Amino acid sequence: MGREKAAKEALNLLRGRLCDPTFVFKPLSDSPESNYSKLKFIISSSVTDACNNSILLLGPRGSGKIAVLELVLKDLLLEYPDMISVIRLSGLLHSDDNCAFKEIARQLCVEHDLLFSKMASFDDNSQFMIAMLRECGLAHKTIIFVLDEFDLFAQGKQRVLYSLLDAMQSITSQAVVIGVSCRLDADQLLEKRVRSRFSHRKLMFLPPSKEDLQRLLGHILSLPLDSTLPRDYAVEFNAKLQNMLADEKFKQTIYTYMNSDATVNHLLRFLFRAVSYMDLGSGFLALENFKTALPNIQRQPKLECITDCSILELYILVCMKRLEVKEQNLYNFNSVMTEYKSIHDTFQTSDYYARNVCLRAFEHLQQRELICFTDNRGHNQSVEFRPVKLLISSYELQQGLKSYRSCPVILLKLMDREA
Amino acid sequence: MPAIVRSNADSTPQKRRLRSDAAAAQDSQPSIPVKWKSPRRCTSASPNCPSNRAAIDSSENPGKSPLKKSPDRFIPNSKWSPVDTEQMRAVKEALHVSTAPSTIVCREDEQRRVLEFCKVCMEQEKAGSLYICGCPGTGKSLSMEKVKQLLVDWAKEQPDVLSINCTSLAKTSDIFSKILGDAQRRKKANGSTTSALQQLQNVYSQNPLSSAKKMMLIIADELDYLITKDRAVLHDLFLLTTLPFSRCILIGIANAIDLADRFLPRLQSLNCKPMVVTFRAYDKDQILTILQERLLALPYLVFQPQALELCARKVAAASGDMRKALCVCRSAIEVLEAELRKSSSNFNLSTVEKALFEQQTTAADILRKQEIDVVRLDHMVVALSKTYRTPIVDTIQSLPQHQQIVLCSAVKLFHGGKKDTTVGELNKSYMDFCKSTLIPPVGSMELSTICRVLNDQGLLKVGQSRDDKSKRVTLRVDEADITFALQGIRFFRNCFQQFCSKHID
Repeated sequence: MGREKAAKEALNLLRGRLCDPTFVFKPLSDSPESNYSKLKFIISSSVTDACNNSILLLGPRGSGKIAVLELVLKDLLLEYPDMISVIRLSGLLHSDDNCAFKEIARQLCVEHDLLFSKMASFDDNSQFMIAMLRECGLAHKTIIFVLDEFDLFAQGKQRVLYSLLDAMQSITSQAVVIGVSCRLDADQLLEKRVRSRFSHRKLMFLPPSKEDLQRLLGHILSLPLDSTLPRDYAVEFNAKLQNMLADEKFKQTIYTYMNSDATVNHLLRFLFRAVSYMDLGSGFLALENFKTALPNIQRQPKLECITDCSILELYILVCMKRLEVKEQNLYNFNSVMTEYKSIHDTFQTSDYYARNVCLRAFEHLQQRELICFTDNRGHNQSVEFRPVKLLISSYELQQGLKSYRSCPVILLKLMDREA
Repeated sequence: MPAIVRSNADSTPQKRRLRSDAAAAQDSQPSIPVKWKSPRRCTSASPNCPSNRAAIDSSENPGKSPLKKSPDRFIPNSKWSPVDTEQMRAVKEALHVSTAPSTIVCREDEQRRVLEFCKVCMEQEKAGSLYICGCPGTGKSLSMEKVKQLLVDWAKEQPDVLSINCTSLAKTSDIFSKILGDAQRRKKANGSTTSALQQLQNVYSQNPLSSAKKMMLIIADELDYLITKDRAVLHDLFLLTTLPFSRCILIGIANAIDLADRFLPRLQSLNCKPMVVTFRAYDKDQILTILQERLLALPYLVFQPQALELCARKVAAASGDMRKALCVCRSAIEVLEAELRKSSSNFNLSTVEKALFEQQTTAADILRKQEIDVVRLDHMVVALSKTYRTPIVDTIQSLPQHQQIVLCSAVKLFHGGKKDTTVGELNKSYMDFCKSTLIPPVGSMELSTICRVLNDQGLLKVGQSRDDKSKRVTLRVDEADITFALQGIRFFRNCFQQFCSKHID
């Protein structure tokens, strides 16, 4: 097939992969020290030994906790087909005990083909759950409770948690409770009764190390050799990819990006952007794709605002900055005008506009939210007398001026002097 | 053994001992476990075991400690082989929280007091109330189950027993309907409008009919769930025992020591305050005794004595919670299993190389050479550190750089004694830091995202505000933790040194 057609197909394949969490987390799960193997070992030993267990999965949002859990559950359901049933609750929806018990009863009914009655009371639902736990214990079925947003269950009286964990203290039930949370101190939020019954196992989902990152990039972006894509194209693509991954500049770009947020999810968003910039003519990923994607994803809206300003507006901003540096905490349009005049007098600039033109520019700045009034009342006063303040930092202003297409030199000099 | 018809008999792996088997086996084989034939037949660790022998011991003399026998009865006959899944499972079951031991050691005194009280009440056909308090994990519910059993065995006419956990009540006043029981509740359905409480009060204030009634033992677990704003339910419950013809013995269980004083002041004036039995937290010797008692049933040595002692010492110093101790022991066994798996995978690699040259040795032989057949002190140390150490330091060290810089600037801001600040101030501090270390700072949008991420993780607390810059920020983590975590990184070390020296000046 033509080069372009192959490139399009490869692009679709890569984009599809980046949106599929089960594919992404597979290589991180291969080593025996990984969270995947630890979690799998704990759950499978609970299932085979027929004992109860509880565990917490902790880590920042987007680090793959639910993805790894789903991988483990999928594999376990294949290994032990009739011995596991999974009940999923979410702290956002089910933190109230009535809702939680109703949902547990409903899911149990669905799993075991029973009729669920919406009229069942709280008592009935909790009796049902205890009875089902006992029955499943006798039938050697393990029930796995997955509690998403675990820290939200720990609000209020924590009845749901207490009932679940208490039911696990009896010999007749076989259950595993898995809590997933992004708060690292989730177990400190538990009441002491509940904490005593919880088994204190924690699995931390830390950001991937540099070697893991390299492996992950290679796994996601390499094309498979045995698919509908032409083989020589795939081989060449992979070779170019390996070269690029080993390049220092590429590594710098990735590390710079990951410096603010190191979770896998964040990286995937960046990769999606970068891969979408792939040149379909040549059909290969290049370093330029990644370099273009970086500023597009790390946007600075205020900087972009500044590049759209007119020269007069820039003058006004610089005047306000100078007033701030001179420690004048309260200034208004009139003081800005005074400063503007003094600059004109000192440096004999060519850009000197009339007062009403400046007022118009001032109002533009305020609409664009680069400046704002400091007082909320005082709408009776006219615009010229109300105190104002800057909404951008001096660093951003400086950057904006530097990237402005034809910034007057005088402004740059003034800003540098302030810095 | 009677044949048991089970579905999926072929597909379920026979690794586990099935409880249905054990239940049937109990009737047919009341064996006394003298000969340690195989752990499968070892019945004294299982809760379904013929507790005749143990029950006879404790019912005669709940006060005599069964550990009059010297601790060197704990001599194993054989070595534990951890690769044997059956043995491993037996060990884990012996140490599981849900396995109720047949004899409850170290609580004999408390059990005796409660039992005496109940016996006196039953003999005199009087009502009484008792309040049991103690930290979680001190054996309260377990002991009450035992007392219930003993009382039922001892009494000539069986009392009614109601064992209820107050968390399972939808409304606090439901407890009275539960006490009333199903029969009475149905009677109520024919048009009367009296509540369950009023019915109970009527029944207990009337005379002769009720004297023919049986005594009722009520065990209310987690009593503090009944506390309402006006404490009416709790008062009414305890006042039931003061009515002239009342027949109930009420035992309330909770965690607070002063619940009776704080929430039941009216009873003091009526001179019928409940008797209080305190279950103190376990100390090191008690924890050690209990652990050894549980492991007594196994014929092999599982833990090195020093390892058990370390566990008992640590848990006793921290909380005295028995569940914690059992959890730590199970954790130590898992550490051992992990070590086994790692060594066997290394072994597999090496056999491929050496297969041509040396004889094939089995895994068990290799293990015996390496002596991984007992839980050692180092396993226990790892398990204890996993349970008691917070992951804060690790997490801070693994944060991306800009998030660490934000935390560091927050520490700097709060160093002078301030406790909270705004996002705007934090922003300024962050920019200063970046300028001084020549790192390009991220934009303000990214910074508010970073603050939100740190808030989600529980490291910072960011308040609500309409304006992004005026949200209040406080640290949720100790400053010392952050300093400790970041000091290893040279980048931050200079920063901390700077303001540490400033602080001294």
